[in-house]
Amino acid sequence: MTVLTYAYAVCRPHDGPAPTGLTGLDPGSPVRTLPAGPLTAVVQDVPAADYAEEALRRRLSDRAELERCARAHHEVITAVSSVTATVPLPLATLYRGDERVREALREQETSFVTALDRLAGRAEWGIKVYAPTAPTAPTPDPAPLTGRAYLDRVRNRHQGREQRQNAALQAAERVDAVVQSLAVATRRLRPHGPEATGPHRTHILNAAYLLDTARTRELRAALTSLRGDEPVIEIELSGPWAPYSFADAGTAP
Amino acid sequence: MTTPAWGTVPAEAHGPIGVPLVDLLDRVLATGVVVSGDLVIAIAEVPLIRLSLHALLSSVNERVPAPWPDSGPL
Repeated sequence: MTVLTYAYAVCRPHDGPAPTGLTGLDPGSPVRTLPAGPLTAVVQDVPAADYAEEALRRRLSDRAELERCARAHHEVITAVSSVTATVPLPLATLYRGDERVREALREQETSFVTALDRLAGRAEWGIKVYAPTAPTAPTPDPAPLTGRAYLDRVRNRHQGREQRQNAALQAAERVDAVVQSLAVATRRLRPHGPEATGPHRTHILNAAYLLDTARTRELRAALTSLRGDEPVIEIELSGPWAPYSFADAGTAP
Repeated sequence: MTTPAWGTVPAEAHGPIGVPLVDLLDRVLATGVVVSGDLVIAIAEVPLIRLSLHALLSSVNERVPAPWPDSGPL
């Protein structure tokens, strides 16, 4: 059977035993480590028949299978990053064998080593800020309106909506500023659309922050006080994540 | 400092089961190092996948949607 090498993450050589209890994408082969000079890749053999281009395309086009793959990928990366500094690789990073993985690591040895130094002792946190969507139906006015009164009402609603939107955006910027002050790097992600957030709220900030693990308590305290200070918006915190959003340079705050 | 062995990864380190898929995809698809070299496939080069995801989740949409839809009520 032809196999491909699926690569999950890159870290430094590790003295401990190989990871156990991880299924990865394919239960047929163990998740294992592949040493390459000063680096180690965390990899797994997967059947080429199931993961070569066309098969993978079909697989990832199926929502349930995409979710299974994403969660399996995440599980391995999370396990590795819980014990050592880790550069997560994107979903579906596949090579035609171990030697190709070693070559790729050799080619980018310096940038991986630099990234691992930068990520050591740090974790990614996600912040999402939502604003409530305006009520769907304006309350009907019982009295018939003159043309002038009607236009006034429309203008007032316009202004009211604009003010609420601006207030929410400014609140989100204040949240971002507070969390950035605790972070060593930050990255803006795309806000989610109504398919993901539902009709009752608008996603106005989706950001990732790289924080020293020693600042976790400060982050949680800051979130508690931000939630009190900013009643207009809804703030969601997620993490700690493996440093997915900071595997490359990221942006200094 | 002693590093714990991989063989003893605590159960909770395997990642919260309840991580929303949309947040996970933000991270495993949209960012990260793309290792050059002999990639059989890279997700970013597969328009079909992006297309099908577009219908499912806006997080993998190429376009940044306006945070405020124009169609809101007055």
